[in-house]
Amino acid sequence: MTAEAPSDARAIHRPAPPHTADGPFLRAPEGARTVFLVTLFAAFGPLAGGVVLFGWRAAVVAALSMASCAGIEGLYFRVTRTPALLGRTHGVLVGLLLALTLPAFVPWYVPVVAAAFAVIVGKAVFGGVGHFLWQPALVGRLAVAALFPTQLAVASATLSTRQPVLAQNRLLIGDVLSGGYGRDTLSWRGRAAPTGRDAFLLTPPQKLLAPLTDWRDPAFGTLVYPRADVLAGRPAALLQMPPVVNLLIGARPGGLGETGAVLLLVAGLYLVYRNYLKWQLPLAFLAAAWCTVAVAPIYLIGPNETVETHWLPLLTAEGAGAAFTYVNYQLLSGELMLAVLLVGCEMTGRPVTTGGQVLFALGCGTLAMLLQLYMDVPIPCYMAVLAMNTLTPTIDSLWRPRVFGTRRLGFLRRRR
Amino acid sequence: MIGRYGTFTGGIDLPDEKRTTLSEPIRPADRPGRIRVSLAPCAGRAARTDVEPGRRVEEGERLASATDASAVNVHAPLAGRVEAIASAAVATRGGFALTPAVELADLSAPQIPPPAERAFDWADAEADELIARIADGGLTTYRRPVGPLAARLRRARAARCRTVIANVIEHEPYIAADHRLLAERGAEVVEGLALVARAVGAARAVLAADRRRTRSYEAADEAAGRFGVEQVALPHKYPIGADTILTKVLTRRETPPGAGTTAVGAAVLDAATCFAVHQWVVCGRPATGRVVTVAGPRIDRPANLWAPFGTPCAELAPAGEATLLHGGPMTGMLCDADAVVGPATCGLVALEPYVLPVPTACIRCGWCTDHCPARLNVSALNDAFELSLVDRARRAGVLACVECGVCTYVCPARLPLAQRVKKLKRSITSPAARPAAAAAEAGPS
Repeated sequence: MTAEAPSDARAIHRPAPPHTADGPFLRAPEGARTVFLVTLFAAFGPLAGGVVLFGWRAAVVAALSMASCAGIEGLYFRVTRTPALLGRTHGVLVGLLLALTLPAFVPWYVPVVAAAFAVIVGKAVFGGVGHFLWQPALVGRLAVAALFPTQLAVASATLSTRQPVLAQNRLLIGDVLSGGYGRDTLSWRGRAAPTGRDAFLLTPPQKLLAPLTDWRDPAFGTLVYPRADVLAGRPAALLQMPPVVNLLIGARPGGLGETGAVLLLVAGLYLVYRNYLKWQLPLAFLAAAWCTVAVAPIYLIGPNETVETHWLPLLTAEGAGAAFTYVNYQLLSGELMLAVLLVGCEMTGRPVTTGGQVLFALGCGTLAMLLQLYMDVPIPCYMAVLAMNTLTPTIDSLWRPRVFGTRRLGFLRRRR
Repeated sequence: MIGRYGTFTGGIDLPDEKRTTLSEPIRPADRPGRIRVSLAPCAGRAARTDVEPGRRVEEGERLASATDASAVNVHAPLAGRVEAIASAAVATRGGFALTPAVELADLSAPQIPPPAERAFDWADAEADELIARIADGGLTTYRRPVGPLAARLRRARAARCRTVIANVIEHEPYIAADHRLLAERGAEVVEGLALVARAVGAARAVLAADRRRTRSYEAADEAAGRFGVEQVALPHKYPIGADTILTKVLTRRETPPGAGTTAVGAAVLDAATCFAVHQWVVCGRPATGRVVTVAGPRIDRPANLWAPFGTPCAELAPAGEATLLHGGPMTGMLCDADAVVGPATCGLVALEPYVLPVPTACIRCGWCTDHCPARLNVSALNDAFELSLVDRARRAGVLACVECGVCTYVCPARLPLAQRVKKLKRSITSPAARPAAAAAEAGPS
């Protein structure tokens, strides 16, 4: 005999909506806070280098910057009740990155004002972590570059183009504001600073190289080697420069974290190792910058005081050796390394996909070097990064990896 | 012959967590008090019952007959007395479905089906004859979504599949049911695979296993040589066991979004299905149970159990207040209170009580995109979900998602990305669910 399933059983049998939480129930251990903390940890390396080379004032600037970022974020939250600003960790991270871009001799109000701009204009207005368009630390830096140009460029009123670096016997404990201008001002080799001061006053290497790419007022007759057809006494550009090892360890004027190329490289490699930064991004950034400098023309004074334009300096100037040194000097003399390895490639400001990130980095590198070479702007690399941050949403929507099982550029075909 | 195999982009190296279960031999489950055998294991229409309450049934006796293409014949997993018509929850594609079930009491003790005499020699059998036999046995596929196996094979045959793949990779943590089955009953699994290949008309039958475990599978070697089954050892990168990904690795053909692997000429089964096919077609024993891995940090004695269909999951894995999962921790679901062992129950994993992490805003780290085996821009899909832009998600290729859950696993903002992408998929494939896509979840915090 056959029994039908009872009608109530029929009634309860209908495809149930998915009422259970479904997987995955495993989570990788790294949360957003961990990401910020690890980046913070990586950024402490360049900060430590800055404290050694620029003394306790560097630590004060960094502490001021971090404290005001966290404080202003808390204050903003108290006033507006915006839930999107999460925790203080990202605020502190922004403060530290901001401090790395500031010189150590700035007065106390500069990091505070920069932090206010970074948190409010850079971050809060857009809706907090994950939503901002421009890297907040660079927004703050740009704001103070516009508001306080004199405080950022000048150490003492008499020597307006020079900035201090501690003497070798006054590292860590010296006061960077007590700078002196002695004979040995080209480099950092003298152990004791002139006339009992704490610091040397040095010309930023970027300023030393500037006449090379200024077609209105070229100052150099050659890169390295003397030329017979040029009037004697014309200086050689690269012989004016400090030894390259100074640029590598960071003993040159600049922001307190942007000078030490080696420390920055270590921090960047650590981020690559932690998978917070894909190697393609800094590599494309550096390659684009390198190629731009190797191709962009330089101006020398030729015979009879004419201006010679040398396109493609890598090939046409005085042999590949000199040109190679010239290109590396250009890359190491500005704030490029910090932009490449820590600040410029921060999450949220960069595109999401690897291809998009390479596009972003190529744009950043090219633009940064063009600005540094031919435009007289205070922070060319950071401005380039900010400009490319603006394009990030566009890159994200235009650059799409080929989805599994579809044809390349299939999305361009007719929409069904 | 050494074949060349492709790979896939993305993927992750998951913790394996199988130390407790890998070398644990299959043993029969304890005698259950009552079992509730679902009349619709495929969650389609219920089969018509052939027995009335109060009657005694023997093990393997038919309890219900299919009246519909979406139903299968149901057999008694154990000898016992029909108690009542009750209900049981079975796992479907997106959750559990409550189905009518036959409740059996006074049960015999479960037994692992012993190697048996050959009742049927399929060496000269025609494909149609084999498929008809499979349909008669009420065999199903053994993975979510569960469906009638015969219908699946007919579809594969109509699509002229050239390759049949037995997927024994078990890429999820804790689960070792198919591994044990292949290690202990390898010859039968391989013969079942060869039989399915014959039924489909496929020229190539592939047994794909994890590269680290091939030493355990020596039992299958001789049979593989005899039946011409290709054995392939593959590396362990997490979603390599997903059907479309495995097909891509083995045949280097990518399944179009939204289609099954039959679209590229491959049918993917697992070891449990092959074993069930062998048991029914060759030995004449209907499918009455399956190997279930019971494991996890909250299980005292992890084991691979031969559990008859219809055993309540909570009885098999007494988990207390732990989080009991049906299936592996990556693609499984929270176990329903009424859930019973069905063909898709490859494992029951008891985790520490699981608290859903609080999601924060996406920080656009890009890890979901980096690790997605389908190369989807998951953060863009998350934006589409939050804005309810189903069309944009469809154009972004959301149907290519293999539902492996890697995006949720890696997300540092703890966003339920895989769940959201699945909801987007459902709202495309079943338009009725469309307006509910974003409303089903509380708004972004």
